[in-house]
Amino acid sequence: MISFALIVVSSLFFTGIVIRTKSLTSGRKGPGIFQPINDIIRLLKKGAVYSETTSFIFQIAPSVQFASVLMAILVIPFGQYHGFISFDGDFVFFAYVLALGKFFSIISALDTGSSFEGMGASREALYSMLVEPAFFMLMGSLALLTGYTSFHDIFFSLHFGSYVSYALGVMATFVLVMIAMIENSRMPVDDPKTHLELTMVHEVMILDNSGFDLGLILHTTNLKFAMYGALIANLFVGNLHWYVTIPMFFGIQMLFAISVGLLESFTARYRMTHNAQFIFTLSSVSLLIFFGVLLVLGKFL
Amino acid sequence: MENYRFLLLTLGATIIGLLSFLLLSARNKSIGSTVLVFVNSLLTTIPAIYVLGGNVIDLSIDGSAFFGAIPIRIDALSSWFILIINFTCINGAIYGIGYTKPYSNQKSNFSLHWALYPVFHLSMIWVCMLQHSMLFLIAWELMSFSSLLLVIFDYEKKNTLKAGINYLVQMHIGVVFLSIAFICVYVSVGSFDFRAIGTFFNSHSNIGLFALFFIGFGIKAGFIPFHTWLPQAHPAAPSHVSGVMSGVIVKLGIYGIFRIVTFVRHDYIIIGEVVLGISLLSGLLGIFNAAVQRNYKKMLAYCTIENIGIIGMGIGLGLMGLGNDNVFLVVAGFGGALLHSLNHSLFKSLLFFAAGSVFQQTHTKNMEKLGGLIKQMPQTAWVFLLGAIAIGGLPPFNGFISEFILYRGFLEGVKSTNFSFITLMIISLASLAIIGGLSLLAFTKSFGTIFLGKPRSTLIHQPQEVSLIMLLPKYLIIAVMLSIGIFPQFYFAIAEKSVFSVFAIDNNLASNQLPSFVSSLSLIGMYSLLFFLLIITVYIVRSGFASKHSASYNVTWGCAYSAPKASMQYTGKSFSKSLAKLVGLAITERKNYPEITSAEIFPRDRHYSSYYIDNFTTTINKVANRMVFGMNYFQFMQNGKIQMYILYGLIFIVITFLGTVFNFI
Repeated sequence: MISFALIVVSSLFFTGIVIRTKSLTSGRKGPGIFQPINDIIRLLKKGAVYSETTSFIFQIAPSVQFASVLMAILVIPFGQYHGFISFDGDFVFFAYVLALGKFFSIISALDTGSSFEGMGASREALYSMLVEPAFFMLMGSLALLTGYTSFHDIFFSLHFGSYVSYALGVMATFVLVMIAMIENSRMPVDDPKTHLELTMVHEVMILDNSGFDLGLILHTTNLKFAMYGALIANLFVGNLHWYVTIPMFFGIQMLFAISVGLLESFTARYRMTHNAQFIFTLSSVSLLIFFGVLLVLGKFL
Repeated sequence: MENYRFLLLTLGATIIGLLSFLLLSARNKSIGSTVLVFVNSLLTTIPAIYVLGGNVIDLSIDGSAFFGAIPIRIDALSSWFILIINFTCINGAIYGIGYTKPYSNQKSNFSLHWALYPVFHLSMIWVCMLQHSMLFLIAWELMSFSSLLLVIFDYEKKNTLKAGINYLVQMHIGVVFLSIAFICVYVSVGSFDFRAIGTFFNSHSNIGLFALFFIGFGIKAGFIPFHTWLPQAHPAAPSHVSGVMSGVIVKLGIYGIFRIVTFVRHDYIIIGEVVLGISLLSGLLGIFNAAVQRNYKKMLAYCTIENIGIIGMGIGLGLMGLGNDNVFLVVAGFGGALLHSLNHSLFKSLLFFAAGSVFQQTHTKNMEKLGGLIKQMPQTAWVFLLGAIAIGGLPPFNGFISEFILYRGFLEGVKSTNFSFITLMIISLASLAIIGGLSLLAFTKSFGTIFLGKPRSTLIHQPQEVSLIMLLPKYLIIAVMLSIGIFPQFYFAIAEKSVFSVFAIDNNLASNQLPSFVSSLSLIGMYSLLFFLLIITVYIVRSGFASKHSASYNVTWGCAYSAPKASMQYTGKSFSKSLAKLVGLAITERKNYPEITSAEIFPRDRHYSSYYIDNFTTTINKVANRMVFGMNYFQFMQNGKIQMYILYGLIFIVITFLGTVFNFI
């Protein structure tokens, strides 16, 4: 449960740090780091406008998305502490629970009968499909390396001993950061600040959401970011005391947020047609990790 | 009463039932048929449950001198499939009563259809019980023929007949392979009993005979590249039949493969690798094609191929487990495959029934013409949605359970020491993930296009919610699906026990992981329930907050364009277009568009249409056409002259005579 609390806390300021970093790099002072959460709270108090085309799916979808991310966070461990949910193969559960949220976000976009939202939905479905093999190959490789198949056991027994395994750690972090960026529809794949519906992915899907629902969806994104940050933190935290690991956790979250901000400041979004190729290269990085693990274990041929 | 009496009673009940059919009026024949299916199901469910309790039924009926002793055996494997068949067939029959109601004025067609339905049901059950190769093939043929006649219910349509003939021919190609395989066994061992296959495998190489059986049963199951009948026959059949076909007929191909696998003695690894490879291919290509189809029944048919791939992966994994003496892999592989067979029969028949309801109300199978049906057919829409979630393998439904078992198997396989084996496991893991992701894409597309948004075309009749009798079986299926999703440990325990009893695994070998695995399954069930409750809680909180504030309704945001038309909605085709571009190797887009020529000064009206073709099918058709072309050279033999035919007979007799005299044969 400790990881749940930590993730919820860091979700409160994560996007704030990203936005602050972006404004500092572009020479502006920028809003405080709690501005995004204030915006969300304001949204939660507002009434809503619904499209006449929509059905009950549109009403329930934001709640399903939110619940699915909450459920996924419950799986995440923290150092030596189990997540609330922990069993062999729990990362499969993690991925599939998140997929249910995605399923509902996609059909809720289609529910509006808009000419734009389907476009975003189609892209989201395709990109999240392309991410899956990278995630599973990464986790499969880590399972091979450690001999365990649950998040907690894998992270707990993950030790970076030799140089090769340091390289593995770096690559694993890279894959996780990229997966986080894609799943949250951030920069190299999607630009949250774009103002043209035709080039959006996630933003265009929620064009018709307003009020409480929009607030839920926005906070779902924050939670998701913090959740992936926690996964990355877990790669390094290991078997230390809580008074070391908790500051470390927040440090890594902040570092992650700052790097997201920097990445967004200095890169441009890829062309839509290149996105798929880019995402699929993640799988090849995962494959490299897999071969690296085989090298470490001496099982290569 | 002795158990075998029940079995023989099914024959009696069917004969009496079919005779009493003559007395029923045409309209009541569907009900009579359903009652008959129900009685037969009851009579066979009792022995099946008795067997699952840990017993084995092993009878030998004295056939004539020709057949010899006829072994009838029901083991856990047969019972598992018998129960699947019974449940799906009962549901199909109840749903069919409502579905075929509009056709009840076509008296003879209607009567034939419903008279054959129980025959078809019974033949499937006997396929699972008979272990005498000749009688097995007879039951198998009976099943193929009766299902063919059920498929071509709409015999007046040219496409239906074409699909039917295609089905007929391909099934018989399958039977040819099976017959050759059985003859090989008979020649070598001298017995029609299935156990002879085991004897054969003990003393011969396993690969050749297994390949023959795999092709024979694989055609029925729809493994790529033996799948080409499936995307044609499923959409052509009336929906209650396509539900049953996809739910159980293809599963009998799986049953056959399972049955042969129980007899395999050597070469587990190579056979496992080949089965796993073909299954990966079937899974991926199946779902690629499903994602781009516009005809929603065809989409479901391709999705069946995908699920057969997933089941095949389990069989491959189990075989590799047998080869590596890893009991966990055997149980996870075969148990996962058995459970996925059950799961697939549930959600696929559910989806076909829902699709059938849509077709009955709208009379179109083209999803691009539909839209917004959730308003007119809310219950059907929800049923379809739940089926889509389940088939995508998402919790809290049953699809997740069987896919999770396979994932666990692959992850366990990763820990082995053999390089090629580990690599295969990682590839399977990634492929299963891709398949999961793509089925999400395929089903959000179908559900979104058919049920959400606004109607894309004006239908002649306003669609309405279907009758209760067509909804009832769907709710039954959903209840079973939920029970598997929430209490998976019970179902898996039965599957596990079946695997242990059928494959004679040494219980001492059983790894200590299994009990912890079963307990983790029960945890998943609990967490799925928790997840469901969490969703409801969040929704209730949300509704509480939302009700405090005003909500207003307006048109969908259209970039400030305030007069949107239904035709401006995003279409299903565009939804999957970027995917289709990515997998151009497997799917080709064809366009029908007459180009404007320079001579055409005043261009006429012209239509543009595009469709996707499955490259594998095209290749197979090309090869088949070549073969047919080659056969033309032998056409001179079939010249219609009776004298020539008599001459052929004479030549044959002379050759046989001389052959025996000089000991050539």
